[in-house]
Amino acid sequence: MSSSQMIPVKTASGMVDFPSDMAVRIEDLSITYKVNVDTKRTLKNAVMRASKGEKVRMRTVDAVQHLNLDIPHGSVLGIVGANGAGKSTLMRSIAGIMPPTEGRIIVNGKISTLLALGVGFNPALSGRDNIVLGGLAAGLTREEIDARTDQIVDFAALPEGFIDMPVRTYSSGMYGRVAFSVAVNMTPDILLLDEALSAGDASFKEKSFKRMRELCEEARTIVIVSHALATVTELCDTAIWLHKGKLIAKGEPEDIVDQYLAFLNVGKLPSSMEDM
Amino acid sequence: MHYLALGMADLPIMSQAQSESLDSPEGSTTFQPRIQVFEPHRASLPKLGPYLTEFWKRRGFAFQLARFADKAEYLESNLGKVWLVLNPLLLAIVYYLLVAVIRGGSKSTTGLTTLAHILIGLFTFYFAQNTINAGAASITAGGRLILNQAFPRTLLVLSSSISAFWQFLPTIPVYVTVVIIGKIFYPATKIPLLSIHYLWVPLIVILLAITSFGLALIFATMNVYFRDTSKLLSYTTRIWLYASPVLWVPTMVHGWHRAILYINPLGPALGATSNVWIEGKAPTGAQFIGMFVWALLAIVFGGYFFISRERDFAVRI
Repeated sequence: MSSSQMIPVKTASGMVDFPSDMAVRIEDLSITYKVNVDTKRTLKNAVMRASKGEKVRMRTVDAVQHLNLDIPHGSVLGIVGANGAGKSTLMRSIAGIMPPTEGRIIVNGKISTLLALGVGFNPALSGRDNIVLGGLAAGLTREEIDARTDQIVDFAALPEGFIDMPVRTYSSGMYGRVAFSVAVNMTPDILLLDEALSAGDASFKEKSFKRMRELCEEARTIVIVSHALATVTELCDTAIWLHKGKLIAKGEPEDIVDQYLAFLNVGKLPSSMEDM
Repeated sequence: MHYLALGMADLPIMSQAQSESLDSPEGSTTFQPRIQVFEPHRASLPKLGPYLTEFWKRRGFAFQLARFADKAEYLESNLGKVWLVLNPLLLAIVYYLLVAVIRGGSKSTTGLTTLAHILIGLFTFYFAQNTINAGAASITAGGRLILNQAFPRTLLVLSSSISAFWQFLPTIPVYVTVVIIGKIFYPATKIPLLSIHYLWVPLIVILLAITSFGLALIFATMNVYFRDTSKLLSYTTRIWLYASPVLWVPTMVHGWHRAILYINPLGPALGATSNVWIEGKAPTGAQFIGMFVWALLAIVFGGYFFISRERDFAVRI
């Protein structure tokens, strides 16, 4: 995108200019939430505690802290970081699922997400029915879904007849293939994938990579969270490293992965580079 | 390469995000121009305009979810959807026998009236109960969907309400059939076969549906924070049934005891149901006021309670 125009966008603090070649702009984003540390969150426990005058024990989690990030259209951003780094929380906040505690996220385009494997899949229903549900949940109309169903089914490439069988009969790989196929074939402007590429065999993974490259060529934007670092170096043109909610580094995927591996004190072992 | 050192902040718990849609300038992009702004919302509610627009736009999702949920529920049962009718019918017969035994038997004509009252009362009560129970569990049951997609969470509760309504619909022909057969054998029975006051039925059902939906929103929210809410609810609704004019008729209570008909959110609608179907009369003024007030209270309070907390669900699921 060479010539960028400015789009006036209404925010809580007034109108701001947003570059048209930008898919996502994250400004001073912080996300904090409280979690109940009691083992059982039940009314019974709450009443028992109240009768004893005890307070509910809460823990504050600073999942993302003062993050600034621009993601241009047509880019593939990889996010690496250890467990609890805030990667999934960041993805959910970009998708509008979790609200910022501070700061702002501006998103330009239709988002498709694969943040929890097998999202919303009803195991008693067929793969085909679940494709409809997944599409409607993503905000597509029934007509739009019907127009894409064959494409989604072809891409998932399940063994013959499986698409009309209950999802509970699927292997975990087949389950993941359908979920991934739904996400990438909804013609999203911005595709958010959280550990979604571990599903499927090598052939499906290659097909997934190819599909994502096609999306990039169409100026779609992809954000990938993956512990398979080879995926990040192979697919992404930029990467960031998050640690305990903070942005530690941003740059070329190879460099970021090297830094991250050095931090973890491990080399480029197959276990750290590929899905296990 | 950029290295960033960032400081800690002691921050309040999350607030609401704001979502706006604006058109992009001509020819600026090849993708679908949709700009969304997510910001903290200091007030507890998101902007209701965009929220309700999104809710309306995605109503098809709630309908389809309800349709598929019904399909999944009865997919592996030999009798399939026949259970939708059989279950309340058998329950009504059990309750009828119970009431007849407690009363020490009854004449055939009053017996048919009692059976008809229990039938329509139970069918209507089960509609409300199914809306509340299924709605209460809908958020915790939709965990993965909530973690993956941004949409008004009220749609999940709405889907349960739609499902409960579809389960309620076939019970009406069952009631009519029982009354027709009953009147063939006991023509002296005063239950009307056709009455102009049946035209009140859609209004009663709509107001009851709104009340139940509002209550479902409250219990669905509670169930996110306290996971035993839905379990507790199954016992509560049973007691609720005995406190409602289903196994007894509204005319059996007098004086200040009649308050029990109105402090019960389902009471006015169940009383009105009995008036229309059994007595062939229009609902009373008090029943109308009761139905409207409960529907308004339930939807306003339930809606506020749910929507003001729904952004919190993703971290509580």
